Amino acid sequence: MSQVAESSHAPTSTGIDHKKLIMWLFLASDCMFFGTLISTHLLYRKLYPTGFTDAEGHQRFIQNLFNIELTSFSTFILLMSSFLMALAVSAMHKGQIKSFRRNVLGVIFFGLIFLGCQVYEFTHFLHQGLTIQNSVFGSTFYVLTGTHGTHVAIGILWLILLYFYSFTGKLVGHMGALDVEVAGLYWHFVDIVWIIIFTAVYLVEYLGPTGFWGTGLPLTK
Amino acid sequence: MSHDTHHAPVASKLELAPERSDLGLIRPDRSTGWADWLTTVDHKKIGIMYGAFAMLFFLVGGVEALAIRTQLARPDNDFVTARMYNQLFTMHGTTMIFLGVMPLSAAFFNFLVPLQIGARDVAFPRLNAFSLWTFVAGALVLNSSWLFEFGHLSGWFNNFDWYKSLVYTDFAPANGWFSYAPLSGTFGQANAALQAPRFTGVGTDFWIIGLQILGVASLAASFNFICTIINMRAKGMTMMRLPVFTWMTLVTSILIILAFPAITVALIELMFDRQFGANFFNPSAGGQPILWQHLFWIFGHPEVYILVLPAMGIVSEVLPTFSGKSLFGYPIIVFSGAVIGFLGFAVWSHHMFTTGLGAVPTAAFALLTMAIAVPTGVKIFNWLGTLWGGRIRFTPPMVLSLGFIWMFMCGGFSGVMHSAAPADAQQQDSYFVIAHFHYVLLGGVLLGLMSGLYFWFPKIFGRMPNAPIAYIASGLVILGFNLAFGPMHYLGLAGQPRRTHTYHEGNGWETWNYVATIGAFILGIGIFLAFANLVWTAFKGKKCSPDPWDGRTLEWSLPSPVPEYNFARSPIIATRDAYNEDKYGEKKIGYENDGGEAGIHMPSQSWMPLVAGFGFLMIGIGMPLIAMGVPHAGWVVISGLSVMFLGILLWALEGPGGYMLKTPTSSSPAPVTANTSSY
Amino acid sequence: MSHAATDHNLVTEEIRRYHHFITLALWLAAITGVEIVLIFLPVSLSIILTVLCVLSAIKFFAVILWFMHLIYDHRLLFWIFIAGMGLAFATFTALLSLFAVDRIDTKWFS
Repeated sequence: MSQVAESSHAPTSTGIDHKKLIMWLFLASDCMFFGTLISTHLLYRKLYPTGFTDAEGHQRFIQNLFNIELTSFSTFILLMSSFLMALAVSAMHKGQIKSFRRNVLGVIFFGLIFLGCQVYEFTHFLHQGLTIQNSVFGSTFYVLTGTHGTHVAIGILWLILLYFYSFTGKLVGHMGALDVEVAGLYWHFVDIVWIIIFTAVYLVEYLGPTGFWGTGLPLTK
Repeated sequence: MSHDTHHAPVASKLELAPERSDLGLIRPDRSTGWADWLTTVDHKKIGIMYGAFAMLFFLVGGVEALAIRTQLARPDNDFVTARMYNQLFTMHGTTMIFLGVMPLSAAFFNFLVPLQIGARDVAFPRLNAFSLWTFVAGALVLNSSWLFEFGHLSGWFNNFDWYKSLVYTDFAPANGWFSYAPLSGTFGQANAALQAPRFTGVGTDFWIIGLQILGVASLAASFNFICTIINMRAKGMTMMRLPVFTWMTLVTSILIILAFPAITVALIELMFDRQFGANFFNPSAGGQPILWQHLFWIFGHPEVYILVLPAMGIVSEVLPTFSGKSLFGYPIIVFSGAVIGFLGFAVWSHHMFTTGLGAVPTAAFALLTMAIAVPTGVKIFNWLGTLWGGRIRFTPPMVLSLGFIWMFMCGGFSGVMHSAAPADAQQQDSYFVIAHFHYVLLGGVLLGLMSGLYFWFPKIFGRMPNAPIAYIASGLVILGFNLAFGPMHYLGLAGQPRRTHTYHEGNGWETWNYVATIGAFILGIGIFLAFANLVWTAFKGKKCSPDPWDGRTLEWSLPSPVPEYNFARSPIIATRDAYNEDKYGEKKIGYENDGGEAGIHMPSQSWMPLVAGFGFLMIGIGMPLIAMGVPHAGWVVISGLSVMFLGILLWALEGPGGYMLKTPTSSSPAPVTANTSSY
Repeated sequence: MSHAATDHNLVTEEIRRYHHFITLALWLAAITGVEIVLIFLPVSLSIILTVLCVLSAIKFFAVILWFMHLIYDHRLLFWIFIAGMGLAFATFTALLSLFAVDRIDTKWFS
């Protein structure tokens, strides 16, 4: 919704719209951002493979904490929201504003379900005794997935604003489609970050009786 | 687009009718004076403001440096307390890097890049203003810690409950510019209020949030500049015809967008440790403080090149101009700059040789570090090749650029010494390291930036700095600098440690510390003189021709000061060094048939970037207030977040607007008679 | 960049893409299903881990290439993203291998 004028006035040197270019630059930068967070989590899993100690002093394995059905469900929901987002962008390119609204509402709805699952997951883990303070695992897990959740929340806010903006009649033509496409790029990126998190944070904990980290490394020296 | 065609072109923005934005608010397009500067989206004005703030903070950081040197002039001195000393060197480093050098480089990016590529503005003018105001917010947050420290020392807070319950009362950061954990972090278990015991007071919180905000500013600016350079080049301005300064801006911006996320995350993690009791770097809960060092230097080493590459770009513009020759080996210079940037990501652990990385990583990082000397050396030889056989004019910018080559090389030599890990183990944390990086950052970067200031000031203000004072200042800077930092090589090898507030008599360090302090004051006088000369020039200097140096790149083809639309008609470029070729060669600059009576589209001014920046200021002050335990401080942060969000939302909803500005109708800017300089 | 002239082609193109998107969404769901089954199979861990990595890489690239239009867009955008992603991958692989278990206080393994 910004800088419409310049981009429509002069064709750019490469033919790429400014907004699309800056969004891809941002995503390249965000790769380093999530790379840092994910590697912080992974290297602490590598160092301390056996999980955490809950409030009662019981040793807890991560595998017994996680709920793979719930996580798989929310992963599926996020993937499908990405699909709807692609349809919403496609509808804008065809000038079908009603179809855009329908699809983007779907994205918002699925995004909210994902966030709801995350809130449920966080409260469930808290009840199980995992806090941000009581272990390194708690710190890295909550901050990593919480940061991802914040990205999702910002995306939802952005899409809600675009949805209402579409009723002003200003979200039209090439520039309107571009605005939606750029928001879509952000949304898809949040989705692919989750694809990585789903494998690197969740699935690996189910490999073998104590998870990949628990069996891949010596417990004592 | 419909919203700008219904306006008739005007000759000046003051003739515009008041226009409402999409929100119904009056756009500040017609504003003058303060309001004009606060709402401007003109890259040249933003550049000037960046420069002014940077020079101000250079002086602040310089005063801190002089206090440090005064303390160290004599053994067992008590000019400042040990705690104040720690705060001084921390704030000196942080200020010089983030509030001095980076914004001064950003000033050049802003002012020059659109002019050098033949564009009328940057890709996102309001985002550019947002970068500036966010930077100012971050700078104020960092330096407001001094205000709190002063209040603490003056006893302002004595009657407050939150003050009485503070465990530590250091209000200014005191951990060094890298704030190593665990000193900057926590220990033990978090209590019911989710706070673990900390080693330091709220100074560290000021540092964390201040740097976070400055990171936002740098990232936003860098996205904007990459976009501008890739996408807004004039016709015929291919990548390999870009002026080298623009190339180095591109490489620097790429480094910023890829390096800053690492420190952003590290700062988030440290903030969670301190404010919410997390365990990222808390050793008593299994956190690894060494991880902070890794994350910091993954950012920190590219940061070194973020500081030096713009200065290299400036020198690559100044040397050809005053040698009367084109730059020797342009493609190699550009390629070397890119290689330096790329390798900069692969050497971070050479800051950590003494932490016990293991034999293989140490050897690998040592080899990669040595490899960086190659592209750097290539650049030096290319600059020498540029000088060779040239008609050299020793103008003030040229003197400073030659100083850059010489001083930067000295810093490079001691840098290669560090890259040998066994030698580095002896030099770690000694004054030798101080000598090394001040030769690179002061002898290199600052001389380069000063050279740039003296080179482009006539273009920015249309006035020529006083030459005799400029020569005297340059001489004082180079003399004082060598007196101050040359002896530190010796002091370091003789065992004087860094970051130690005093030393006893009898170690053999007295003489050279005294000499270094004298040098530091000569340096300070030199820099003050150089800056005072520039400020005087901006207002009272002698008017000069638009092309006083016989320049080679596009910006010199424009009138001085540059009109707000930059190019009355967009240039069409046929060769590298386009303006030089236009003056003396066959390939003239062509001009497109735009502008004139039909007008040029100008972006509208806006209050919103300033509002968003103000939100950052509130967040930045609020977070340390929470850490201090000030009641209701959380509301300051929440209000700050709301103001920031509101600023960005209204910015998006107000619409870009814009108006049409007439330009002089002559087909191209009047050719400037080459007036070979007055020197 | 004359949008009016290419509008018709764009619509035909969008209809073609629409089918790609649906096919891709089905594949993504299927791959996720396979992943969930895979982790409970009694097969060697290293094999499963390799397959998981490959599968999530496939999903990752499928989304950036089709949903994010990189396959249709200017090649520069692809390289910008690959630069960021590649650098992140290389840096953090190096970082992870720098942290060796035998240097850690074993008290924390309890």
